[in-house]
This record gives sequence, structure tokens and C-alpha cells, in this order.
Amino acid sequence: MTRSTADIVTLDALGPAGAYASRSHQEIKDVAGNPVARLGLVPTLFVSRAMTALRRSARLPVDDRIAAIARAGELFATATLGGLSVSEYEYRVSRVSGLPLSVVRAATRTAAHRAAHVHESVQYARPAGSVGDWRDPLTRSGRAVWSRRGDVLAVHVSGVHPGAHSLWLEALALGFKVAVRPTRREPFTAHRLVTALWEAGFGTDHVILLPTEQEAGEAVLRGADLAYGGDDVIRRFAGESTVLPQEPGRSKVLLTAGTDWRAHLDMIVDSVAHHGGTGCVNATAVLVEGDPAPVAEAIAARFTALPSLPPEDEKAVLPVQARMPAKALERYVLNNAVGTRAWLGGDGFIDELEDGSAVLRPTVHQLDSPTAPQSDLELPFPCVWVAPWTPEAGLEPLRDTLVLTAVTDDARLIDDLVNEPTIGNLYIGGHPTHWTDIGMPHDGYLSDFLMRTKTVIRG
Amino acid sequence: MPREANPVLELPFDVRPDPDEFIQAAMDWHFSPETGSPYWLERAKKLDFDPRADVKSFDDLKLFPNIVNELRDTPAQDLVPQGYGDAPDVVGVYESGGTTGAPKRVVCLADWMDRLVAWSLVNLDAHGFPRGANWLGVTPTGPHIVGELFSRSAAAHGSLSFPVDLDPRWVKRLIAAGRTDQADAYAEHVIDQAAFVLRTQDIGVMAITPPLLERLARRDELVDLVNQKVRAIRWGGTQMDADSRYLYRTEVFPDTLLYGHYGSTMILGIAGQRPGLGDDGPCVFDTFSPYVTFSVVNPETRRTVPYGERGQVVMNHISKSLFLPNNLERDLATRIEPLPGQIGDAVADIAPVTHFEDEAVIEGVY
Repeated sequence: MTRSTADIVTLDALGPAGAYASRSHQEIKDVAGNPVARLGLVPTLFVSRAMTALRRSARLPVDDRIAAIARAGELFATATLGGLSVSEYEYRVSRVSGLPLSVVRAATRTAAHRAAHVHESVQYARPAGSVGDWRDPLTRSGRAVWSRRGDVLAVHVSGVHPGAHSLWLEALALGFKVAVRPTRREPFTAHRLVTALWEAGFGTDHVILLPTEQEAGEAVLRGADLAYGGDDVIRRFAGESTVLPQEPGRSKVLLTAGTDWRAHLDMIVDSVAHHGGTGCVNATAVLVEGDPAPVAEAIAARFTALPSLPPEDEKAVLPVQARMPAKALERYVLNNAVGTRAWLGGDGFIDELEDGSAVLRPTVHQLDSPTAPQSDLELPFPCVWVAPWTPEAGLEPLRDTLVLTAVTDDARLIDDLVNEPTIGNLYIGGHPTHWTDIGMPHDGYLSDFLMRTKTVIRG
Repeated sequence: MPREANPVLELPFDVRPDPDEFIQAAMDWHFSPETGSPYWLERAKKLDFDPRADVKSFDDLKLFPNIVNELRDTPAQDLVPQGYGDAPDVVGVYESGGTTGAPKRVVCLADWMDRLVAWSLVNLDAHGFPRGANWLGVTPTGPHIVGELFSRSAAAHGSLSFPVDLDPRWVKRLIAAGRTDQADAYAEHVIDQAAFVLRTQDIGVMAITPPLLERLARRDELVDLVNQKVRAIRWGGTQMDADSRYLYRTEVFPDTLLYGHYGSTMILGIAGQRPGLGDDGPCVFDTFSPYVTFSVVNPETRRTVPYGERGQVVMNHISKSLFLPNNLERDLATRIEPLPGQIGDAVADIAPVTHFEDEAVIEGVY
């Protein structure tokens, strides 16, 4: 599909009284530098007033919320919203984020799926001893009631992957009022989702979209009870107990001795490069007990075959960025890779396209130690560091990992990995690091942050 | 002994002198050994031109270097023209906000302050400010001329004035040090002081900076009090974006006049909002020409940009009491056609440049 760049859309702020046509705008450009949207920015005054309105708004009953979220997911994935059909929306997200079109489409389906199962999803997180409502008969003899830690949640989006947005639907399901500060790199998804939620029955004063510059962004956080995300504002307030920062993933694959890594090559390659390799659940490092060289060589051979295509191409699988940041990223990786053995991308890894954008091709580097600092270097493309590992090296190189896939039969090692608090999720055997399903925590349950239990006894 | 000045330097505030005649008289006053200030008489020795012979028009002011940084350490008494004699009527020594490094100092003499206030009152009348009202001032005090201008305007146009103490430099320092919680606490303290006044006094006019107005508007009680009592708000000190201005005028304070100032200590005064602007257009500021004049220039070439385009603001102050030409300010603005008879440019959509002479500009509450 080709499209003229003339149809620049305006994405208004979505405030408590409806869409707000602001006087201040930011131009949103695609990876080739062509303007594709004007994003309306709102000042601190608007934000403060919007947050107050959010706090005062009425809450939909839980049944209505769950039904509206499911309906919004359906609309998100099928309807024309804000003047954009699904394919027009997906095309734009692909062009501004550089994510392959197939990745954006998959994210659309995932959003609808998660919206349809949002109630089920949050129920997984409810402590087994607690009930969801004080009216539950069990509270007559005393029971924990699962209740909100606040009324208003601020979501500060940083990443360009549209999947980042399906998580905060859980907060809406739990009864939070939500203010979303979209990333100015890809505001389409947040705008579309809030529009869908409005059309599905949420009041305009129940979930809002506040695109802002930094100072007004702090007002979004200040006006909320709890804040979650990964933008510049969240990083600034990350130490506070009411702020939940998204951390880097640094996901890893561990292959212990005696496992046939060849049988797991599909899983390893998929862990690194699935969805363009841009996610926190994509593997950053592969640790091999034994010689890592053949593993690195085999991964590199698979990656060599991937095509360099513009992101909107049906067959695209690799991420694209504007040429200047892509070149900066290339210099950064090459500088950091000094002293490692490059199996792929050692002389550079960007393929320039005609329109001024550049494909980020995969890189594979072999490290000589599991504790080499490069193994923590998580980058938004398929960039993997393959290192040797020994039982003596132990847990140290496996710490601070969002998802660890451990291909091993060593039950004692598995015990250690389960008990290691800095490992977020543990997949034992041939499960790729990006695997997930309804009810599976991403980095703990979001509800662990949003909710608390309190004892209620009555009658 | 005071010396006689050319009468063109002492015209009533609402009589416009011929620009060239005015400039030439000012050059004569500030660069004659009998009347010029010690600072300018000494500084003139390092100029490669003779101001009295070579500066004949406003355009010729470009010959002067930007000397404002020298005002960070020049003894203030050296800035007073000797033509005022041994006992000049000094209103005060005023300092720049300190947004960009060590403060710069200027001396304000009574004849200029009187002229400025007289001009400013006409502006307030043009905007419909109520005469005789009590004024609340939530603006910098201390060595900042805006505080003096507040109390004099209140006395001349209104009746009682209620200033709130505010040190903008402390806030800037807290922000620069990343101590936003303390900056926040200080700003809340300032609003608390304003709240006491608003609750108990019959306030008709409020002078305030945009960040503090935004903070005041977060409290419903104070929004209600302002809507009940305050007929006019005069804002200045920092910029107000077009969306905030629109929201104040249409939603927050719909029945209260909103009038903006754009000032600088280095012009010893302010430019005032043009009367008759709509809620939704750019906020245009006109200067007190010919004493205060602006030009909007390309910061690299120093050439004036076309009307409607953005550039950096160059300011001139030329009066009997002070000569401060060709000062490149830290602000960006849109160049706007001036009103008939005005010298220089009007400006709109003021925004700070983010870096100025290698010090990050911190706006804070001021």
C-alpha cells in the first residue's frame, strides 16, 4: 500500500469534556522524516483541570466497565476511529515506529484479545484469600477485600510498540480513572484506544489522553494517585512508592550442558527477533554452557536470510528508523562491541532505504565471559550477545532479567532461578522469551501495584 | 549641579518626539563629559565610533556592542548620568532575575519611573481596569523592578496594595539543583500568602506570574474567590501560552480581564498587551516607544526577520536616566507590525530560548 503524505491527520488531546483542539502542536514524522500527524499539546493548566475532573467523575459499575472494555477492543481492531480505518491506523503506526506492519497487525489482534479477557486477566492477580467486593457473603465472618490503592492512575507511555497499551486496560477494569500521556514518537495507538473506550461507553471524564511537553507531563503524574510507565517524567519520580517504572527487559536464554541447542534454534532465533526484536521480552543475551561459537554461528546464519524492507511492506520483519538515529545506534553498538567476536554486523548493520530511513539488521556477537558488560546492552532491534556460561559462574550473569528461558534439566538450578528475585519470569524448556497468555504476569501483575487487600467484617 | 537637558528628552509621556531628534539628543546627553554617566564616558573610549557624531537614528544603535554583561560588576553609581547633579532622585537599584547567571544591575531614576507609570496607567485604562481597586501582587519583590512598579501602579491607579513576598532566584536555584519538592513547597507557600489576602480583603486587581496563576487555579476555593472579587488580572514575568490564555478567558476566569506584560529589568520596564485582542489570537505586546524599543532578529545574522516570523528579541532603552542599547534578550518572539507612530517592532508568542550563553535557562515561578 502506498499513500500520499498529504493526508496529515490531527490528533487532538482527549480531555474530560471531549476532544480539545489546542493551539500548540507537535509534528509527528515517519521514519523518512515526512510529517504524518499534528499532535495537539496541552499546557499544565489544562492538565491540572483535567485531572481534577477525572477525580470527580462517576465510575461505571464493574459489569459495564468489563463489557465496555471488550467492546472497545472490538472497535479498536475493526472500526474507523478518529477518521482512520484499522489499516490506515496500522500503516501510520508502522511508518512512524518503524515496526514491521505484520507486528503492528498482531498487536491490534492482541489488544482486542486482551480487552475481551480483561476481567479474567485481573482475577488471576487477586490474592486467593480475598474477595472482589465487600458485599461478598464471606465478609460476614471476616475476609480480605481486594481494593484500589487510589482513584486515578497516570500512564506515561514511552515505547513505540502498540502492545504497551493493552496492559493499562486492567486498571480501567479495576475501576481506576486513567489519564494517558502518550509518547510523542507514536501517539496513534493511545489516541485510538481512548477513542474506542469513549465510543464503547466510558465517559470522556473517565479515561483521557493528555499529550504534553515535560513540565505539563509532571502535572499528569502529580494529579494522579498512582503512576506507571517509562517516560522522562516517570524516570524522574521513579523512587516514589506511588510510581511504578518500567525497567529494561534484558531477557535471556540459558542453554546448559547436555541440551541439544540445535533442537532449540528456532526458539532462540524467535526469542531474539520476534516482532522485530524491539521488545523487552526479546532476548538480549544467549548463555551457553560449552562452546558458544557454534550457537552464535547458527543464529547468525538464520539472520543473514532476513530481508531489508520498508516497515509497511507485507514481508518486512526488521525494524526501521530514520537514518540519523540509526547511524548513531550503529556507532554506539560498534563502539561497545570492541573486543568481542562479531558473527554478524561487526562492520555495521544498517541498510539504508531510498526514502531516508534505514533498516536495523540483526547483529550477533560472541563474548568471552558471561559477565562481560555487553550482555546487558538491550537495544531496539535483534541484537544478541552470545556468551559462555558455567555452573561456577552461577546466578550472577542471570540476574536482572525480565524473562529467562532456561533449557535445562537441573532441578537445583531451577530452584535457584525461581528463587532469584531479580528474574521476572522463568520459562523452562523450549518456550521463547516472548511467550505470554491471559493471566500471566509481565513484570509481576500490574494489579500488585494498583491494589491492596483490607480486612472487612460486617453484620 | 543638575544640567539642563534638551527638552526633547523631557516631553510629557504622551507626546511623541521626532525619533531622530530624540536619538541625537540622547547621544548628546549620555556622551557629553558634563552630563554622561561615568560608565558610558569610560566605555565610549573603547568604541570605534563617536556616538555623538555617528549615531543619528534608531538604526544606528546597531553600532553599539551589547554591554549588558558588564552590568554584572559595574558599580551602580557609575550608571547615573552626571547631568543629574550631586543629588539625583534615585528610586532604586534593580537587578535582573538571575535566570542567566549573576544578576545585572541598573539604576532607576524618579523621572523615568514617573513617566513609565503614567504610560502604564493609560494602558490599564485602555484595557478597562477598575480605578480605585485594591491590588494583590504575587510578583517578585526585593531588587526586582516589577515589585516597585506594582506598588506604584497600585497607588496611582488603585488604592491599597497587598504585596506577597517572593524571591524568584531561590526557586530557580532549587529547580536547578533538582529539588523540585522544595520548589513546589515554596510556591505553595506563596499561594498560601495570596489566599489569606484573597479571603479577607476586597481585592479588585491581581498582579501575578503565569506559573503562580496556574498554581492558584488548582485550588477551587481560590478560583471562586478570584471570580467573586477580582475584576482584572495583570500577568507578567514569564510567558503565557495561547492555550492557557484561552482557557483562563473562556473557562477559568470568564468574567475577569486578563492583561499581559512583557518586561525586562534591562529596559527598566515593560511592554503592554495590545488592547482589543480576541481570546484566541496571539498575545501582542507594544513597547513604550521611543524610550523602549524592540527588534526581532535572526540570532546568527542579527538581521531583522520578516513580520510574522520568529527571531530573538533585541531591546533598547533610551531615556534621560539610562542608555542601554542593543541588548539581545533570552526570548524568542514572533515579529509583529507596530501600531502607527511606534518605533521598532511589536512582539507576540514569547518563548525562552533553552540555552543562553551556555547556562541552561530555568524559568521557575518567575
